[in-house]
Amino acid sequence: LRLICTTTAMQRKNIGASGPEKYTEAFIKKQIEEFNLGKRHLANMMGEDPETFTQEDIDRAIAYLFPSGLFDKRARPIMKHPTEIFPEQRKIQWGEDGRPFHFLFYTGKQSYYSLMHETYEKLLNVEKYQEELIAQDLPLEKEKRNLAGSRWLTKIELEEMLLEKLSDDDYSRFIQLLQKLMALPGSDIEQKYIQKFSREVPVQMQKVVIEPLQYDERGVAFSTGEGKRKTARATAVVYDNGTGKMTVNGRDILHYFPVLQDREQLLFPFQFLDRIGKHDTVCTVSGGGRSAQAGAIRLASARALRSFVTEKEVEFMRQAGLLTVDPRVKERKKPGQEGARRKFTWKKR
Amino acid sequence: PRLMQVRWSRYNPSFMEPEVNKEFYQKPLEELTEEEKENMELKAVRPIKAAPPSLSSSVFSDPMISKFTNMMMRDGNKVLARSLMTQTLEAIKRKQLEKYHKAPEDEKETIECNPYVIFHQALKNCQPIIGLSNITKGGKTYQVPIPLKDNRKRFLAMKWMITECRENKHRRTLMPEKLSQELLLAFNNEGPVIKRKQILHKMAEANRAYAHFRWW
Repeated sequence: LRLICTTTAMQRKNIGASGPEKYTEAFIKKQIEEFNLGKRHLANMMGEDPETFTQEDIDRAIAYLFPSGLFDKRARPIMKHPTEIFPEQRKIQWGEDGRPFHFLFYTGKQSYYSLMHETYEKLLNVEKYQEELIAQDLPLEKEKRNLAGSRWLTKIELEEMLLEKLSDDDYSRFIQLLQKLMALPGSDIEQKYIQKFSREVPVQMQKVVIEPLQYDERGVAFSTGEGKRKTARATAVVYDNGTGKMTVNGRDILHYFPVLQDREQLLFPFQFLDRIGKHDTVCTVSGGGRSAQAGAIRLASARALRSFVTEKEVEFMRQAGLLTVDPRVKERKKPGQEGARRKFTWKKR
Repeated sequence: PRLMQVRWSRYNPSFMEPEVNKEFYQKPLEELTEEEKENMELKAVRPIKAAPPSLSSSVFSDPMISKFTNMMMRDGNKVLARSLMTQTLEAIKRKQLEKYHKAPEDEKETIECNPYVIFHQALKNCQPIIGLSNITKGGKTYQVPIPLKDNRKRFLAMKWMITECRENKHRRTLMPEKLSQELLLAFNNEGPVIKRKQILHKMAEANRAYAHFRWW
């Protein structure tokens, strides 16, 4: 196919692919001034005080003045501070004579290698400190750092910090070095440096509200629970003072689940809490296959049992994996393949 | 391991494995070791994966037996695999009981009747200690003896047992019968599976000269 209508730009052959546009500092400064002026004009237009006009007010004003029906939120008109819109870029790394400023410029990843050098220096410092302590016969104290509350920087965050692309290998090496540094007993002196590379994980643990027991007409305590697994949805009502009978969709479990594995799963929560002969259960279940229905009922009865049991035992149930919804579902079939993973038969010709 | 894993899972990497054993939770705090205490602290904060359907806290569920059942399974037919497994254990029990009742008084104590114990001991006897791996050096591929990890040893023992029972049998014998026969032979350190393990050991001993090719 030969292109017939061409422009002069397409006919020039020697254009190389230029990278992302480079913004000069003066350009960014001008953008910031324009943004601030525009903010004041906008506040004036909306009849609000220009001094106390926050970003949320700006967003609301823009959405009001330029209503857009586009689906993608990123395609709608935005007015944000220029530092958020224009990505941070590196200034030119070499002077007028063409000589680069940083001594590791010709490695290609100067900030990454300089970071590795710095971290290794800290490691050597810590080792020297340890040796000093040993020489003075002082005990090596190791405080237990709380592992649970913090995580290391992700690769993307590190890339943003260093303003240069990293490979997976580089990133994992850096994390290994940090872990090694943290594992040494004398690393308290370098704690500030390590904290630059760790983030707090908000200890979620949304306090799940355990419902109180309800009482039916005969005075027997009961509680309900819902569970799901793949496409199966189940509800279970667990009654107190029972003989351990279980009914599913009006039929007995021996009838409904002929397979031993499914029955084991149904009884798992009760067996874990040593309450096999004490509760009666009535369940309804729909959807899914035989194993999915069993898993759904297991989750539903575990949730219902939470109201009968102490908080500590609820925590034990959670650690045994009885209270988590299984997120595994059937993987979709992809085009160009026969199934989710299986490819078509490879033919040589 | 690579950062961008090709095999992914639906769970976030921060999810931890569930601990199903009831006795673990009833132990008082003093008996735990340092590692276990750290583990407990971590578990209190991190989310935990759901227990898979093959795992349960009952006394009858055994991780080794479930692994073996999964390896015997074909086309996802877990029902059939599990029934074959239970029939095998029953067959072992029957054979041992026959031997027990026929044996004279003083030998009765030495005969092991628990099929689980026999299964575990048989598989343990079949596990190879070293394995061979192909290392290419200077254009030629050599079989180099390497130490094996525990998982790999267990896997090889189970795999050999299953392939042995599927192939080297008479057309009319059923799997439980053949498996029980092989397990009893392996329990007494006889039988084709043990022979295969010993052949592997001899090959490794023969290629001892190339052991320095290993670099890990």
